[in-house]
Amino acid sequence: MSEARERLRRIAIAGGGQLGILTAIALRRALPDAQVVVIGLPPDPAGFADRASTALPFTNRLHDRLKIDETQLVQRAGGSHRLVTRYFGWGDEDQVGEKQNGAMAYGATLDPQLRTRFAQEWGGGRSAGGGASPPGSLAEVLADAGRFAVPPGDVSTPIDQVDYALRWNMPAYREMLIAMAQQLGAQHVAGTMEALQPDGAGGLAAIAIAGQGLIEADLFIDCSGTQAHLLSALPEAKRQDWSAMLPVRRVLHAIPGEPMLALEDRFSLLPEGWLCEFAGRDGLQVTLALADGVSEDAALRALGAGPAGLVQMEPGCAQLPWCGNVIALGDAAASFEPLGFLNLDLAHRQLALLLEMLPGRTIEPLERAEYNRRALLMAQQVRDTLAVHYASPRARQVFGACELPPSLEAALDQFARRGRLPFRDEPALLVQEYMALLRALGFAEGTTPQSRSADQRSVEASRQAFAAQARAALEFTPPYQQFMQQALQPQPVASDLQY
Amino acid sequence: MTAAGLARMLPGLATVDLIESEDIGIVGVGEATLPHIRGFVESLGIDEAAFMKATHATYKLGIDFRDFGRIGESYIHPFGSFGEEVAGVGFHHYWLELQRQGLAGEIGEYSLAVAAARANRFTPPAGDSSLASTYGYAYQFDATLFGPFMRDFGIGIGVTRHEGLVVDVERDGASGNVTALVLKDGRRIEGDLFIDCSGFRSLLLGGALEEEWEDWTHWLPCDRAAAMPCTHASDDIRPYTTATAMPAGWRWQIPLQHRMGNGYVFSSAHISEDEACEAIRHSAEGKPLADPRILRFRPGRRRRSWSHNVVGVGLASGFLEPLESTSIYLAQMAITYLIELFPDGGAIDPRDRDEFNRLVDMEYDRVRDFLILHYNATTRDDSEFWNHVRTMTVPDSLADKLELWQRAGRIEKYADGLFYDASWIAVYVGQGMLPRRHDSRVTLADPMRVRNALERLRQEIGTQVSAMPGHRDYLMSEAARLADAA
Repeated sequence: MSEARERLRRIAIAGGGQLGILTAIALRRALPDAQVVVIGLPPDPAGFADRASTALPFTNRLHDRLKIDETQLVQRAGGSHRLVTRYFGWGDEDQVGEKQNGAMAYGATLDPQLRTRFAQEWGGGRSAGGGASPPGSLAEVLADAGRFAVPPGDVSTPIDQVDYALRWNMPAYREMLIAMAQQLGAQHVAGTMEALQPDGAGGLAAIAIAGQGLIEADLFIDCSGTQAHLLSALPEAKRQDWSAMLPVRRVLHAIPGEPMLALEDRFSLLPEGWLCEFAGRDGLQVTLALADGVSEDAALRALGAGPAGLVQMEPGCAQLPWCGNVIALGDAAASFEPLGFLNLDLAHRQLALLLEMLPGRTIEPLERAEYNRRALLMAQQVRDTLAVHYASPRARQVFGACELPPSLEAALDQFARRGRLPFRDEPALLVQEYMALLRALGFAEGTTPQSRSADQRSVEASRQAFAAQARAALEFTPPYQQFMQQALQPQPVASDLQY
Repeated sequence: MTAAGLARMLPGLATVDLIESEDIGIVGVGEATLPHIRGFVESLGIDEAAFMKATHATYKLGIDFRDFGRIGESYIHPFGSFGEEVAGVGFHHYWLELQRQGLAGEIGEYSLAVAAARANRFTPPAGDSSLASTYGYAYQFDATLFGPFMRDFGIGIGVTRHEGLVVDVERDGASGNVTALVLKDGRRIEGDLFIDCSGFRSLLLGGALEEEWEDWTHWLPCDRAAAMPCTHASDDIRPYTTATAMPAGWRWQIPLQHRMGNGYVFSSAHISEDEACEAIRHSAEGKPLADPRILRFRPGRRRRSWSHNVVGVGLASGFLEPLESTSIYLAQMAITYLIELFPDGGAIDPRDRDEFNRLVDMEYDRVRDFLILHYNATTRDDSEFWNHVRTMTVPDSLADKLELWQRAGRIEKYADGLFYDASWIAVYVGQGMLPRRHDSRVTLADPMRVRNALERLRQEIGTQVSAMPGHRDYLMSEAARLADAA
């Protein structure tokens, strides 16, 4: 006869950044009778997940699950919406010397019928020497027109297949989370960690905090940033080094610019590295990831605004993010440059995995192994998604040749020759998103055998059906500014605490 | 299937020649399938009703496994889910907790597919996200009709058929590639790519190319089947396949519109062919329609399903016994992968061949572990066969899955390949292998509220099943579309 496992009684979370607080909310929601203590630590400047002001659409789902109201996020934490990420200058120059640009939208991007050679040529794709992608993503159509609405979900609308990512003001978002965590009964302890007490079984028994005494717990969550203060102290902990595959070691932040309302963000490839321009209601944020050997002067010129700070980094991930009774999330589990808004997305997917596999008071070695198997796959998929940027035609000139992970080499080969991507477990992006990214980065796409023999009438029918969908979507959505004015109208506040 | 698939999906890219001989019969068994077959039929542009009528097909909601975990017990592995997860915790954890408290029924009572199957009722699932959408279905059809149906369909869309027996395989001395097949009457059929669908004989892949075979008999000892059709014994037509454990293997019952397919899959090390034939005669519920026929096979797969310019599809590349109706699925996946990786302009890129073999291997390995579970998760000690499979060493990949289940009630997750959570749970629970521990969070909820929620689900399932027509009635009421009036 199967019995319920004994529940965790006390969980300590090291790190009071947005990830640590969100983890506290998630654990209090999952285990309302467990004590959850957040140990506030000084923020890690290289903690790109913990400092992120955006993630990917998965986060919206996690917010729903944790009852974090998106309307409140927009009203109280400077929230805004992104439909596409645009890539400038990553592809080779075309026949008239223009650099190839492209966009990656979320969710389903292209009707398979439109991915045929005929449609690509019709759309003025590579073979026609143009530069535009085939029109196949409603999100891109909306972004181009500057129109937006949140798909209501409960009734059918012309924008049901549109997905989006949220941006926010990180300090305001964190304050919002803190208020919710406090309401849910999570505790907070501030101070410096003085010592870690091992439990004799490969994990921890307690953390000594200056002036606060010992914090004992059944489970410790390490959200302490890239230093992974808890995990790295354990005998089993081992780090996987990604530095041969990911070339960036220095990231320069600019002083925020003017507020900007936009449905897109940008990654441009410059001779000095890549530049991220990130719109926000509180100000445009600009980040430059530097190629090796770029001088300070050149970097500052490329940044185009006053510098706010320089971050040094070493990319890599924990080989075993769960050792003993310590689980590392976010920057403590994998640290890498803020390219493609993947840092916090990965952290949130790790948190969801933890919730799925939440242990009892006694941890089973095999559940730890299963968590580690999946978490490592997740991290490696992110690594491959980053590495693909540096394998793009022009990035090699800027960053030099990097080692390609074998799994990525096979994927790029299949994309180039066959127009397909091998399926992988725990992918960082949907297959369609990944394909859109590769196109945006200027990789030439092969055609599938089916597309070469596709019936052109059905392709034309698909194209017309898409055009009709696009018209309906445009009619349904207001200009983004108008949408946002409406969204910022005060609305009755629902209780956060219904569970 | 392969000829029709290539002709439909790659028109203009390849010409397809199909070589077959009337002298080689089709194994005349009922063939049970998995829901994936519907996608195949649909993507070929074949009307479901026409297909069902032509192959005397019935609907299938799952497989009823009898006497596997223990003699006298049975469970249905459904094409559907059990309940819903609550607050991020899988339904089966709540069920385990209530069951411990004596407050829950059998897990199958919380599956619409299981309840409909038990009641011999069928209606297609809803397309929304309601309870009526929580199941899928497959077909059970007559393989002697399915083959010719696909052949005729293929010919109709441009496949060229050659009647004849292959007597010689010509190969290029330098590359080792097959260049032509020589037929008994002297005709020579040339090709760029050769697909070996010759079944167990594996004429090209195993025969001409001598591609190495990886044997799995030590995990799956059944190597023979005695197949025999019989009449229906009652008016009901079951919307499911039945697999009943036998002293040296198991036997299938596959209901078609006009008859029942039967077969005893057995281990020749534990029982003779004559004894197996006698057992299948004895166990048939209806009147036998033919003498039992013996089929011989070896479980395992070729180390490479695609070698040189020869691609093995179906039994020519590997064989896993039909315990979970995976044969047609494995053939279908090989065809799908072949279409995706079809050689450009006749030239085969080794990277595409490697990718094809990686995908096919992954499919076989995952099915293999799931099949072994059916034998290993048992308390049966009534025969040498069951003593062997109960105590054998299972693959490490399966041993870890078993231990994770037993210690924490969790299922190892993967996103590709066959058989997800609900399937593993159905077999574990159905064969009496309950975990020792389940998720700690289930005790947070008030047990009476959980019990009431489960009870409401069970009642709602009962109401919906009652409103479904009987399976035979459904087929007959739509006879003009679905059923063969004869």
